[in-house]
Amino acid sequence: MIRNKRIAAAVFGVAAFCAGAFAVAQAQDAPPTGDAAKGKKIFLTIGCFTCHGRSGQGGAYNGPAPILAHTMLPFDGFKGQIRNPADDMPAFSTAVLSDQDVADIYAFVETLPGAGSAKDHPILNN
Amino acid sequence: MSKRRESGGANRRNFLKGAGLVGAAAAVVPPVAANAMPAAPLEKAKVGLPGPKQVAAETLPPSGDPVNQTSSGGDFMTDVINSLGVEYMFINCASSYRGLHEAIINHGNNKPEIITCVHEDIAVHMAQGYAKMAGKPAAMACHGVVGLQHATMAMYNAWCDRVPVLVFGGNIMEADKRAPGAEWLHSGVDIGQIVREFTKWDDQPASLQHFAESTARAYKIATTAPMGPVFIALDAELQENPIPEGVNLQIPKFSPVVPPQGDPAAIAEAAKMLVNAQNPLIVCDRVARTPAGMANLVALAEALQCGVIDNAGRMNFPSRHPLNQSFRRGLIGQADVILAMEMNDLWGTLTHFSDRIERRSKPAYKKDTKIVTLGTRDLFQKSNYQDFGRWQDVDLDIAGDAEASLPALTEAVKRLTDDGRKAAFADRGQKLAKAHLAMVEQSKTDATIGWDSSPITTARMCAEVYDAIKNEDWSVVGTAIRLNWMHRLWDFNKPYQWNGGSGGAGIGYNLPASLGAALANKKAGRFTVAFGGDGDFMFNPGTLWTAAHHKIPMLYIIHNNRAYHQEYMYLVAMAARHGRGVEKMDIGTTIKDPNIDYATVARGMGVHGEGPITDPKDLAPALQRAVQVVKSGETAVVDVVTDPR
Repeated sequence: MIRNKRIAAAVFGVAAFCAGAFAVAQAQDAPPTGDAAKGKKIFLTIGCFTCHGRSGQGGAYNGPAPILAHTMLPFDGFKGQIRNPADDMPAFSTAVLSDQDVADIYAFVETLPGAGSAKDHPILNN
Repeated sequence: MSKRRESGGANRRNFLKGAGLVGAAAAVVPPVAANAMPAAPLEKAKVGLPGPKQVAAETLPPSGDPVNQTSSGGDFMTDVINSLGVEYMFINCASSYRGLHEAIINHGNNKPEIITCVHEDIAVHMAQGYAKMAGKPAAMACHGVVGLQHATMAMYNAWCDRVPVLVFGGNIMEADKRAPGAEWLHSGVDIGQIVREFTKWDDQPASLQHFAESTARAYKIATTAPMGPVFIALDAELQENPIPEGVNLQIPKFSPVVPPQGDPAAIAEAAKMLVNAQNPLIVCDRVARTPAGMANLVALAEALQCGVIDNAGRMNFPSRHPLNQSFRRGLIGQADVILAMEMNDLWGTLTHFSDRIERRSKPAYKKDTKIVTLGTRDLFQKSNYQDFGRWQDVDLDIAGDAEASLPALTEAVKRLTDDGRKAAFADRGQKLAKAHLAMVEQSKTDATIGWDSSPITTARMCAEVYDAIKNEDWSVVGTAIRLNWMHRLWDFNKPYQWNGGSGGAGIGYNLPASLGAALANKKAGRFTVAFGGDGDFMFNPGTLWTAAHHKIPMLYIIHNNRAYHQEYMYLVAMAARHGRGVEKMDIGTTIKDPNIDYATVARGMGVHGEGPITDPKDLAPALQRAVQVVKSGETAVVDVVTDPR
């Protein structure tokens, strides 16, 4: 019972945090302008590539790590996932990753080409 | 045995013991012959004055011990092992089983065929990979103490993988028969204790008849579900000495245990639950024990038109079957009845677990979902190693071999399926087929991301390998951690096209186990291909020498991300959690500076090497060359420098 209460409290806490984060995001100014070149360097230095791949193609950590190439996530969602991820992804605080760093990474992954057509690659259609 | 020794003393160790005593005595009292040469020139002394032992040996009268024999316990042991149909014995040679080794070569005419391995870990892993592909166990032999300790990790993998391996370890049971030095270091009172926590059974036979019966028993226990490795200690005296006169040795008559089917009433209850369910789901791990396993599972899934999530511990279900939903784990949360069969980690499969500061978990299934299990895993467990996983609540727990029980379950399902349910099933099946097709198309699309990148994406690597081997009768027998692009992109539809993973997640499995499977495939004329990480490769690179020496064909692709990459990611997570130094986590986790040239390592072992390949455009030509080498009967290694995952 105690364990169930703890889990319930945790679920409530996460929900409350998400609601709060949403409100904060609404109140925020425009996101900082990112520098894709710097973002690439950070992406490769702090280990983003280890799970998501150098091309942002996705990969795996404890479970699947999502595709980041040409991300469709809005900046606030992207940043929220980095600061307080929904799953096993490491949480990168401002102590190791500034908001500007996040903006740079975001700019970089936006530049990564997303998926092409499998039809352009005959060996994918074996 | 003791009678034999009292009467004869006709053995090597008695002779050595006598020589040793004479030598010790000679050291205390200088022998006459030694005193006779005090003024010998220094130069002559360098080329070797006879020592006290040699002098004693040359001046004492013959001991009278017999020096030849016309029978050997090792010959009988060889006959016993061959009576069980063991085709191969993977070994790293060792004096404590030299009697058996010699007997296999000369009495058995190298039957079972000896496969020379340069490490005991390789030998056991080869036997593990072989057993899964051949459908029967092989033997492995090693020193009972020092060799067995090398073998332990591979035996643990086989234990966790529920794979039968017959491990033999040499020992000298009687202390007075051990020569000074290594024979003491290599002997133990109870050497089976080293591996008892991860073997199904072990024994140390004290007579040849005891050996025969215990070896047959070990084979039976190893091959009875849940399967696993077994260990027999081989007393050197038994192996080496003559078979005592007048002893009537019998080779046991062996008959395998028929795998148990689940209780008929329980099977009927499970069928009722599945037929009445709106969204039944099958999850499985090590269902397919024989080539019939896959067909049996397909029959049940098609009878129900329900989804199958395959954890791929064996070749359970065709990858392109419309009901294959292995990459749609969300279905667990929609199921109202889950049939889980031969699961390695049921709780882990049905649970969301959070690897964060507080390690929380919650079921991935709905609160009212009914869970039915069918399998043999819980019929044999041990307590120390925790490979049994966390407790999982279930509603109906059926003890029985899943493969053997599936036909009865399928028939029961069919009997209960009326026309109304048939229509509902067909509708469900169509939806699942559509989702499966979408999943396959999505995988192909996802594979295009970073298509021309360097390092090469793992998707591109797997697509290129498939293109190179798709027209062969292929069998893929190994993969690196988290590398599942083959199952997303390739058409697995034959029972031998996959054989699962290591079992215990002990690094060093992939290369030797793949070669063991390749040995089984060689006999069947199949084309073996395997993937493995660079970290795994470096645990047992000597495997390649065995591949060359025994001419075992295999295409081995090194997924070379130049790291123990899973650990690299874990370290990033730790640093991020602590808010420090996330950019330094390559320390102790990467394999670079210098980069290892695996193609050169391969060539040094006598097999073909390609790479390192960093440009994806170079992959296809390298693979074509490698495929030709493999088709000529040899092993080829292709070193592909890849993105991490």
